[in-house]
Amino acid sequence: MSGTEAANAPGGGNNASEFVRKLFRMLEDPTHQDVARWGKDGDSFVVVEGEKFTRSILPKHFKHSNMSSFIRQLNKYDFHKVKPSADGESASPNGNVLEFKHPYFRVDSKDDLDNIRRKAPATRKPQVAEDFTTSQHVSVVSEQLTATQQQVQQLQELFADISQTNRLLVNEVLTLQKMLNAQKQAQYEMLNFLSPYNHSRNNGMMAHQMSSNGGMSSSDGDENVPELRRARELLSSVAPDTVADRELERLHDIYEAPADSATMVTPVSMPMLHDPMNDISRYPVYPVGQTVGIDPFHSDHINKIPYAIPNENSSGSMDQHQQHQQHTPQPNQMNNAPGASLEKPTSLWGSKKPTVFLVEDDGTCAKIGIKFLKSMGCDVEHAINGVEAYNRINAVGRDHFDMIFMDIIMPRLDGVSATMYIRQHCPATPIIAMTSNIRPDEVNGYFEHGMNGVLAKPFTKEGMLKSVKTHLQHLLKNPPSQSDNGHGSAFMMNVPYLSTPGNPIKFESPTPPAGAGGSNWSSGHMSQNGVDSGFGMMDGSNQYNITQGRNAYSTMDAPSGRLSDHDSPPEKRQRLNNSQRTYA
Amino acid sequence: MALPDDKELEAIFGDTIDLTTFKQILEMDEPGDNEFSSSIVFGFFDQAEETFASMDTALDAEDLEKLSELGHFLKGSSATLGLVKVRDGCEKIQRYGKQENLDGSPENDVKVCLEQIKKALTAVKSDYEEVETGLRNFYKDDDEEEGV
Repeated sequence: MSGTEAANAPGGGNNASEFVRKLFRMLEDPTHQDVARWGKDGDSFVVVEGEKFTRSILPKHFKHSNMSSFIRQLNKYDFHKVKPSADGESASPNGNVLEFKHPYFRVDSKDDLDNIRRKAPATRKPQVAEDFTTSQHVSVVSEQLTATQQQVQQLQELFADISQTNRLLVNEVLTLQKMLNAQKQAQYEMLNFLSPYNHSRNNGMMAHQMSSNGGMSSSDGDENVPELRRARELLSSVAPDTVADRELERLHDIYEAPADSATMVTPVSMPMLHDPMNDISRYPVYPVGQTVGIDPFHSDHINKIPYAIPNENSSGSMDQHQQHQQHTPQPNQMNNAPGASLEKPTSLWGSKKPTVFLVEDDGTCAKIGIKFLKSMGCDVEHAINGVEAYNRINAVGRDHFDMIFMDIIMPRLDGVSATMYIRQHCPATPIIAMTSNIRPDEVNGYFEHGMNGVLAKPFTKEGMLKSVKTHLQHLLKNPPSQSDNGHGSAFMMNVPYLSTPGNPIKFESPTPPAGAGGSNWSSGHMSQNGVDSGFGMMDGSNQYNITQGRNAYSTMDAPSGRLSDHDSPPEKRQRLNNSQRTYA
Repeated sequence: MALPDDKELEAIFGDTIDLTTFKQILEMDEPGDNEFSSSIVFGFFDQAEETFASMDTALDAEDLEKLSELGHFLKGSSATLGLVKVRDGCEKIQRYGKQENLDGSPENDVKVCLEQIKKALTAVKSDYEEVETGLRNFYKDDDEEEGV
């Protein structure tokens, strides 16, 4: 160990810690080599006499005399205590020899002192604690995040569920509303039906049915039956909540067809009587050979349906019809006069010959159909397409025709669409589809759109006659129960008329006839409901008719409802029905 | 004139006409007068020839939809008269016009459809001519009989 080295000490290892430099200097000090010195290999140092070291050297170099503190310091700087080397030099009788070692603490490498760093045990401990709390904190936060995310997801699911439920509910409410309207309308129809019945019963004069009915049309005052009047009052006393309805309709629009909402709430009343006809070319002809059943809810169909007319009540409807008469062109009238020459000597019919409307674009079919019908003693009118048919019916009023034969595929306006238009005015007139498209799905489509029967093409006279007899039993001279149609006929006759409560709802305003004063709520958005509800009714309460029709369509007759009316003779019923239809 | 019996009619028309259907039309005639049925039949001749002309045009234009419509149209009136062969031919045209095979399965190849319609149209025209000749003779004979 040279003085030069010692002198250099402060310079070399400048960066080394004070403790290490002091330690190095201490070992350089030749004065106490017996107490503390470098180890034999110069890579460790040895404290030979701990007591002496503590007393004299520590105070001199480290300003303290605490051996354990010195050792602690050494530990801090990562000196390790080594077993005293086995050489005799270090052997000590008292065994109080301590030897310490550090990889960089060498006698010949002062520069390496810089590499001796204080370990960071003191800082490490708090750091671990900090890490612990931080990681704990992070995990807590992430747990919270997960929980929140789960909550959000649950809420989203819940929202979806509730949306779905709400949509169902809105639809359900609308459906119920429509059904309610339908029921209401049905009630009115029945009331209308009952009033002349009661009236005539009071009169006890069946023979004067028509004239007494004539009197009844003037006012409701004829309802001298208190029950009927009360029923009417009850029906008209319940007014729907317009605002809620509108809101509901809006919701429905949002759910179903936002794009259509604007048109759906547009109130259309009179214009529709002309628009469909003016724009008729827009309306697609019923597709040739349609291969699927008609979906009544398909927008194609819905949009084709004109809005319901506001109200058809008493004299108002008469005015309307007169108006139509001025506006609408007269269609071909093949025959307004009875086909007398061809009428068989023994007429089928009673006092009134039926007037049948044949809507058919094919001249051959039309001629033969007309011929057949005339040979049955019917008056026949002919139109060559749906537009003409609709205009004609508007012109002559709902009771002009007793029955309509309707071709399905026609130019300008097909039979199904025409039927939907016609049903606005003629809820009860039997309309028979005349077509070669008679697959069950197609036939179902006809029934669903308000038709009452199907006559397959090519039709036979017999088939046509059967259809006419079925639907015009009330006009037959012989009561149907005695006719050769057999057992079922007495019941079948009821069907077209019992099903009418569904039909008027279909295209007529749901406005109660008696509540005309407060009936504004029905125009506009509710008219659309009226249209929809018709389908609902056809799908719902009239299901049995349709179903039966499916079974029975091969006979090309109207579905049979099998609802019997044992009490009144059919003829009487039908007359009553006649009068009812006049004033409904 | 009495209604011709089935044998007589069969001899005239063979299998080109469904007699049950056609007789119904004849039954609509006043006794001693076939004005009604002949007016229907001759009206149908006009209709058929007109429709065939339209079909030719539509075929040239490769207008399948129009062909289907025309097929449907003539199918209806020929069926009403009981002209079964014409009716069946028209149905073929209607179907291929809708791009369907005769069994109702879809036929997507427009070329095939047009080809089939072309064939069917040729056949139906020939069937029509056959039945037309028969019908014209029938009414001519009737007239002669009445004249006698």
